Amino acid sequence: MVKKRVPALMLASVMALSVLAACGSKDSASGGSTGTGANGKENVEISLWLTPQWKGVFDASEPNADYDSFFKKAAEKFAQQYDKYNAKVKVQVVAGDQRDELLNVNLNGGTPPDIFFESVFAMGDYAHRGALVPLNDIVDDAAKKDIPANYWDSVTFGDNIYFYPFAHNPGTLAYNADMFRAAGLDSLIGGENEIKTWTMSEYEQILEALKTKLPKDKYPNAKPMALYGLNNQGDTWNLAYLRMFGNKFFDDKGNIVLDDANGVKAAEWLQKIYKNGYTNPGAESVSSNDANAMFQNQKLAISFTNAVLFNNAKADMNSGKAPKFDLRLANVPSASGDPLSFTYVVGSNVFNSGNEKKMEVAKDFVKFYSTDPELVKASKNSVPVRSSVASELKDQYPLFAAYDANSKYLFNLTGNVPGYSQLRQLLYPELQAIYIGEKTPAQAVKDYQSKGNGVIQKAKESSTVYKK
Amino acid sequence: MKLRQQQRRENLTGYLFILPQFLLFLLFIVYPILEGIRLSLYRVDYQNETFVGLDNYITLFQDPVFFKSIVNTVIFVVFIVILTVGFALFVASAVFDKNAKYVSFIRGSYYIPVMVSMVVMSMVWSFLLNPANGLISYFAREMDFSTVNLLGNKTTVMPVIIFVTFATNVGQAIILYIAAMIGVPKDLFEAAEVDGASRKDLIFKILIPLVKPTTIYILIINIIAVLKIFVVIQLLTGGGPNNASVTMMYYLYNNAFKYNQIGIASAVGVIMFIITLMLSVPQLRAMFKDK
Repeated sequence: MVKKRVPALMLASVMALSVLAACGSKDSASGGSTGTGANGKENVEISLWLTPQWKGVFDASEPNADYDSFFKKAAEKFAQQYDKYNAKVKVQVVAGDQRDELLNVNLNGGTPPDIFFESVFAMGDYAHRGALVPLNDIVDDAAKKDIPANYWDSVTFGDNIYFYPFAHNPGTLAYNADMFRAAGLDSLIGGENEIKTWTMSEYEQILEALKTKLPKDKYPNAKPMALYGLNNQGDTWNLAYLRMFGNKFFDDKGNIVLDDANGVKAAEWLQKIYKNGYTNPGAESVSSNDANAMFQNQKLAISFTNAVLFNNAKADMNSGKAPKFDLRLANVPSASGDPLSFTYVVGSNVFNSGNEKKMEVAKDFVKFYSTDPELVKASKNSVPVRSSVASELKDQYPLFAAYDANSKYLFNLTGNVPGYSQLRQLLYPELQAIYIGEKTPAQAVKDYQSKGNGVIQKAKESSTVYKK
Repeated sequence: MKLRQQQRRENLTGYLFILPQFLLFLLFIVYPILEGIRLSLYRVDYQNETFVGLDNYITLFQDPVFFKSIVNTVIFVVFIVILTVGFALFVASAVFDKNAKYVSFIRGSYYIPVMVSMVVMSMVWSFLLNPANGLISYFAREMDFSTVNLLGNKTTVMPVIIFVTFATNVGQAIILYIAAMIGVPKDLFEAAEVDGASRKDLIFKILIPLVKPTTIYILIINIIAVLKIFVVIQLLTGGGPNNASVTMMYYLYNNAFKYNQIGIASAVGVIMFIITLMLSVPQLRAMFKDK
């Protein structure tokens, strides 16, 4: 009896202990440094995340070009010349619509990426939340001179710079000039290297002609214009449309002021073009990705685009992935006749991971690829923020001049308000309500403004930038 | 004295045997629940946590979208569970006493959707239902109906989701029912048949009462599963149009991971925990009482 019980007791104790042991030994592998390399320098591994921007190191035509090619190449170059540590960079591409989910999970779990390369407007919230470290110490006078002040403004929150600008992405409309010709709109087609500006009445004339005169045999089921509101992706263009009739959107104090006659008029205009069949059907459950795919497959004549999407679309056409057509750019029209022009600065931020070594390497790496004379040329895939790069490449890329001409019409997309990520989640349900006829445009605009200002107010209270 | 010592030692062995499982249970079930309750009383920023008492709950109950999510979740639970149990009972009682190969075939056909990932199923449905380039809207256009957007319509979005979830769920219930019905002693049916009972009587008076434990089990697991309905919503509708299909789990997810309102998300979690507890306790009690 006793003999039997002893092994049983031992077995039970071993099982219990092994569980405890498993719980205790979990964090020996984490942390930034993993020993010392052969050259005597300490190994430091950092992670870099990015959302899809351009493919290839410099160009999508390179063999095996992918979204992470540039940063892999940059990391290689960085490691070769870096003398403080043996730096290793793990590059990961994450989907734009998953960004906030992934970041929030990792921030709360204490494992944020060290660097994130993304449009600044989508990341401003993290600066307000105190999750980013200021980059003032890696920005020198040479960089401040080469990159115009308005780009520095958009990456500065309070007194600190939180993002190192790399390129910028002006948002415009794209149109299929072949479809315009087929609908008899030759006179309204802009030049190949022009960003065409139409008046509101010209734009409505275009929509009408595309709806009625487009040959059904050549373009079956094609619609004039892209309209979407499934989620927050591509909402920048929706925000631009809401400014079409002169609404300012934000006041000087960073509150939403959409609920006035002009704001309501813009919302009514969106409802009108949707109800009258000038857009793709089902805008309430179509995403911007769907809209872009329909445009590339010539099911839509006008869609949204930005510099990098435009270049990607051209690359897809040249490689035979998408049907070829005459793709051109136009501005979002407005009632005043001036184009509605916006851009988003794309750049890098460093997360406050609490690990000093990792943050040091991350900052050094950001500085390296944001200043290296060869690497910064990759910004040609959107539009360079550096005047030196823009002027060097302007002959090869005539569109740079067209984008530059637009810059005096730029409006500040986000108003740099805190809580912008949550604010983005409020707009599309209201747009859906307009499209399905559940709310009048006036009601939707009113609800958006009151809910939005509530979010901004709450976020202001907890913003570390405002607290200072 | 010696006897008592021996008894104590035997008890100790028993406790040591359940200790590993008990520790895991404490660590992965009890601790997260307590932590969730604690977080629901705090406002959590990246750098600090502030105690706010019941503020998160007050915010929740002032949000019409949260009420909408409760109503939607209840609708989903009621309809999906009734459909699942009803249909599974119908299929199982129709085939359980047939040829074994036929039964296997039926079981297999209904079980395939259960094996396919919910993500894949949702994506297939979203390809079919996409209003701009989906197959269903394409055929509707070909047949000269006006545009069909089942997911963009407030009245059709819920039935569509109920159907999609039911179709992927029902296989499990059918398998369980067929297994339970095959286990019902044959002599009961034979005796009833001798007494002149019809097929209807057999099913309603013998079969269904005898598989009651299975019914309770299916009810509980389905209620709990549907309370957590999320993937279909995330992939098919994103809670839309205008929050018409938002559920509690989706609301929780949005708050936790999109808006980074961990405190509010935890409060939703606590409320869901209480609802689940209230729903399952009477059923569990019924199950144990029967035994």
